[in-house]
Amino acid sequence: MMDAITTSLSRQSGLMTEMQTIANNIANTNTTGFRSAGVTFSEFLNSAGSVSMSAARAHHFSVAQGALAQTGGTYDLAIEGDGFFLVETPEGQRLTRAGNFTPNEMGDLVTMDGHPVLDSGGSPVFVPIGAGSVGIAPDGTISADGQIVGQIGIWQPTDPLTMRRTEGTRFSADGYEPAEGRMVQGFVEQSNVDPILQISRLIEVQRAYELGQSFSEREDERVRNALGTITR
Amino acid sequence: MRVLAIAAAGMSAQQTRVEVISNNLANMNTTGFDPRRAEFADLHYQQAIRPGTITASDGTVMPTGVQLGLGVKPTAVSVMIQQGALAATGGDLDVAIEGAGYLEVMQPNGTSGYTRDGALKISADGQIVTSEGYAVMPGVTLPADTNSVSISAEGEVYAQFADRIEPELLGQFSLAMFTNPKGLEATGSNMFAETTASGPALVSTPGQDGLGVLRQGYLEDSSVDAVREVTDLIEAQRGYEMNSKVITAADQMLSAMVQVR
Repeated sequence: MMDAITTSLSRQSGLMTEMQTIANNIANTNTTGFRSAGVTFSEFLNSAGSVSMSAARAHHFSVAQGALAQTGGTYDLAIEGDGFFLVETPEGQRLTRAGNFTPNEMGDLVTMDGHPVLDSGGSPVFVPIGAGSVGIAPDGTISADGQIVGQIGIWQPTDPLTMRRTEGTRFSADGYEPAEGRMVQGFVEQSNVDPILQISRLIEVQRAYELGQSFSEREDERVRNALGTITR
Repeated sequence: MRVLAIAAAGMSAQQTRVEVISNNLANMNTTGFDPRRAEFADLHYQQAIRPGTITASDGTVMPTGVQLGLGVKPTAVSVMIQQGALAATGGDLDVAIEGAGYLEVMQPNGTSGYTRDGALKISADGQIVTSEGYAVMPGVTLPADTNSVSISAEGEVYAQFADRIEPELLGQFSLAMFTNPKGLEATGSNMFAETTASGPALVSTPGQDGLGVLRQGYLEDSSVDAVREVTDLIEAQRGYEMNSKVITAADQMLSAMVQVR
C-alpha cells in the first residue's frame, strides 16, 4: 500500500543528489578549467517486481570546450580541442584543463597549488629565468629568445572510461598517453558551466521535488480516508 | 544537506573575487601597481557510488558512478605581472622600469624590499630614497651643490654642477629579479618582500640578464584595466546571485521536506 510514497521518495532522494550537483556547478562557474557535471537517473525494480523506482545512479561531466579568457600571462595556457595537461601530484599523475601555471622558485612550471606540469615525455617542465621573451607554440614548444627550451605535453587518458574527478579541477585515470591538441598562450579556459541551463534545471528540480511532496501528501490523505472508511 | 554548504562556498568565492577586484580598482592610479586575480579550484569529491563498483558476478562494473562535488575554494590570488604604460612626468628623480625587475630598497628593519615605484626623492642628507624615505640600493648620495641629476638606462647616476661642465658619476642602481615574481609577498606601499616561493633575488645591471632598463622622467602607471575590472565585477555579482538562488531553492526543498506528515 505504501509503494506509491516509497516510489515518489526514491525520486526525491535522487533530486536532492541532482540539486547538490547543480549547486557544485554553480559554485564553480568561475573555476578555471572546470567541467560541468550532471546526474543520470535510472529505473530499478523492487523485489516484488511490480513497481519501478528511480535512482540517481550515474554521473557524467560535460566535455564541451569552455570559453577562452584572455589574461596575457606568459604561462597562462588554454587547450583548444581535446587533450589535457598532465600534472604530478602527491597522489599520482592527474589530468587537468586548468592552464593557469607559474614558474616556482626552482624554475619548474607548476599549477597554482604547486604541482609540477609535465612535458611530452612525462618529466617536469623547466622554464628559463631571465629570458627576454618566452613564447609557447600551439604544440607546447617553449622558446626563449629563439631557443627551444622544452615542450609542455598534451595528454589524454588511455581509457576514457576510467576517468574520475579529483579535487582541484583534476582528473585521474588508469593510464595516460600523449595526445594531439592545440595550446594557446595568454589565455585560460573558463569553466564550461552554462549558468542559464543550471538555473533552469535548478527550478525544474525544485518544482519536481515539490510535486513529489504534494503527491506524498495527497497519497497520505487518500490512505487515511480509506482507512477511515474501512474502520468506521 | 550539503547543498547549502556548497552554495555558501560559492558565495564566499565570489565575495573573495569582488574584494580582489575592488582592491584593483582602488589602486587604479597607484604607480607600478599590477592587478590581482582570484583563482579557484573545485573541492574534494564525495564518492557516493564509486566508479568501477561491481554490479554483477560476471564482473560488470559501474562505468561512472556518482561523484558529488563539495564546492569551491580559492587557490590563489595571483599578480598579473604586466608592464604599465609609462607616463612622462619630467621629474629628475622619476624613474620607470621598462621591462622586468624591481628596485631594491633598504627598509628600516634592515631587510630588503623590492618595488617598481620609481617616484624617488632626496633625503635630508642627500641620499636617493623612495617616497617612504627608504634608501634605494646600492645607496647613492648627492653632493649638496648638485644642480641636476641624470640617470642612464643602465642605472648610472650622474650629478651636474653649476660651476663645472663635466658631470660626476655618483653610483649605479641595480635591478633585482626573481624566478617566480608571482611568489613575492606584497607588504603594502608598493613594496614586495622575498619569500621561499619567489626564490632569492638575482641582482644585476639594468638591461642585462633579461632585466629591463630605467627611464628617467617617467613613472609606470598602474596596469589595472578598468573595463576588464568592471566586467569582472558584474560577472562576480551575478555569480553571487546565482549561488544565493541555489540557497533559496534548496531552502524551499528543505521546508517542503520538514512539512512531510
